[in-house]
Amino acid sequence: MQLFTRLAESIHANLIAGNSYLQILSGLKVTLLITLAGLLSGTLLGAIFCAMNYSGSKTLKFAAKTYIVVMRGTPILLLLMLLFYVVFARTRLDAIYIAVIAFGLNSAAHIAEIMKAALGSVDPGQILAARTLGFTKFGAFYHVTLPQAGAYARPVYQNAVINVIQWTSVVGYITIADLTRVINATGARTADPFFVIFLGILIYLLLAYATYLIFTLADRKKKVIR
Amino acid sequence: MIRVENLSKSFGSLKVLAGVNLEINKGECVAIIGPSGAGKSVFLYCLNALEKPDSGSVCLNGVDITDKKTDINKVREKVGMVYQNFHLFSHLTVLENIILAPVKVRKLTRAAAIERACKLLETVSLLDKKDNYPDELSGGQKQRIAIVRALAMDPEILLFDEPTSALDPTMVGEVLAVIRALAKQGFTMVIVTHEMNFAREVADRVLFMEEKGIYESGTPENIFESPVKVKTVAFIRKLKTFNYNVNSYNFDLIGMCARLELFCGKYAIEKKKINSTNLALEEVVTYILKHCYEKPRQPDINIVVEYGDIDKKIVVEIVHDGKNLDPFEKISAAAEGGAVDPDDLGIFMVKKMSANIYYKNENDLSRFRIKI
Repeated sequence: MQLFTRLAESIHANLIAGNSYLQILSGLKVTLLITLAGLLSGTLLGAIFCAMNYSGSKTLKFAAKTYIVVMRGTPILLLLMLLFYVVFARTRLDAIYIAVIAFGLNSAAHIAEIMKAALGSVDPGQILAARTLGFTKFGAFYHVTLPQAGAYARPVYQNAVINVIQWTSVVGYITIADLTRVINATGARTADPFFVIFLGILIYLLLAYATYLIFTLADRKKKVIR
Repeated sequence: MIRVENLSKSFGSLKVLAGVNLEINKGECVAIIGPSGAGKSVFLYCLNALEKPDSGSVCLNGVDITDKKTDINKVREKVGMVYQNFHLFSHLTVLENIILAPVKVRKLTRAAAIERACKLLETVSLLDKKDNYPDELSGGQKQRIAIVRALAMDPEILLFDEPTSALDPTMVGEVLAVIRALAKQGFTMVIVTHEMNFAREVADRVLFMEEKGIYESGTPENIFESPVKVKTVAFIRKLKTFNYNVNSYNFDLIGMCARLELFCGKYAIEKKKINSTNLALEEVVTYILKHCYEKPRQPDINIVVEYGDIDKKIVVEIVHDGKNLDPFEKISAAAEGGAVDPDDLGIFMVKKMSANIYYKNENDLSRFRIKI
């Protein structure tokens, strides 16, 4: 009985009093925004780096490789700080945009590697066969390489997405009120951190699970390579 | 139909083809044979511009495909190609594999493409596999599907690059049957193959490639019965060899014996000789593994069995890089004393049944030569 009373008290203090749940929701929104925008730009940028890596030009190749090595070795938090305190310090750019840029730059390196591995796993003989049947270079890429590389990349890309979701929890360092920061603030205010931190973990867990679900559904629609 | 003039190709400093000339008429079936690395496949690849020749020209139906202005994709639609390793699209079902190019490249309607694909599948009796994925099929089935995929584009020329080399011996027949039927239908075909009997039966003309070009050519009878030039003769005779490499202590003895028997069966070698050869291989290899190598060193034993069609003799040659040990010396010493070490009994038997046996060590390689 006492447990229920305390739980009700916790819920009231952490979520209802002063409309705290709205703050948590807005924190969730920020987290999702940074994740999605970061991934989108990261994927586009990653594709560009991947293309550079496959291009004939040695300079482009070198540039892409260097970028990937440096970015994969740089902690995302330090990158965030570098952008926030140094690069964009004098601009009035909103911290959220800075976070999107940081996550875009960071995930681009990982995603470029994922794409490279996926493209490399496609049997070159099948591309040759497509060319022999009269497909243009692009046609062979679109009809043979892309669907196969996509199927190879999907599970790894899913991991990258979940990674980004979880790493966004550090953006509080550059003043962004994301889910983690809101939860931290709420816990501090109510002096009842256990409940709200537990709730936060639960939300991140649900996000990861939702990612998994979306990818599984996409997998079911398209035929998987065995 | 196909006219090749003065075709040359090199990879880096390695010259593969030098000044090759060839003309193939409509409806002709040409088989290309020759040792590995003679440029057979490269030559075939040049015929639909998968390889760019350094110089010379290739004309298909009067269109020069080495010309930069030629739309090579348009030309390739009319040239079907079948590869050694099938190269079926692994993400598509059999039916989708076949209709992909007709629908996307030739812009046929899906329904028309499916109808045609089903008809073709029926001719190779694989219609019931149309919804399977390539990796659910056997090698022979895959290759038949690959042939159908090429046919679905209504090609005028068919190129085969060692179509049966990646197949189990049991599956070679079904693929050859399909190709044979195509030859009867009067397709213009170029087949690179190691199946000599097949080349002989199906081809109108056989080209033997060696020394960076067409070394000798003629009717199948000419090439196989009475080859004129030295290397052709050597190639046609030497073909009757069996190679095996032992590189592990627990190598597949039964597998080796099975392959040897298959080899012997092909040339109708009598049962007694097969058994003797088997025994010789088994005993000598076991002896070498036991006495000449020590773990962790990996054994490297090369076995060559040659069968001379003329003298009907089998020669087994076993070369290894292990310890220099002549087992026969020990046996002859033992034989004089009367008793044989039970450990050497196997070698003793081999010596007894062989017509001639010899052992030699040079350049750190030990060589056994056993005539049976």
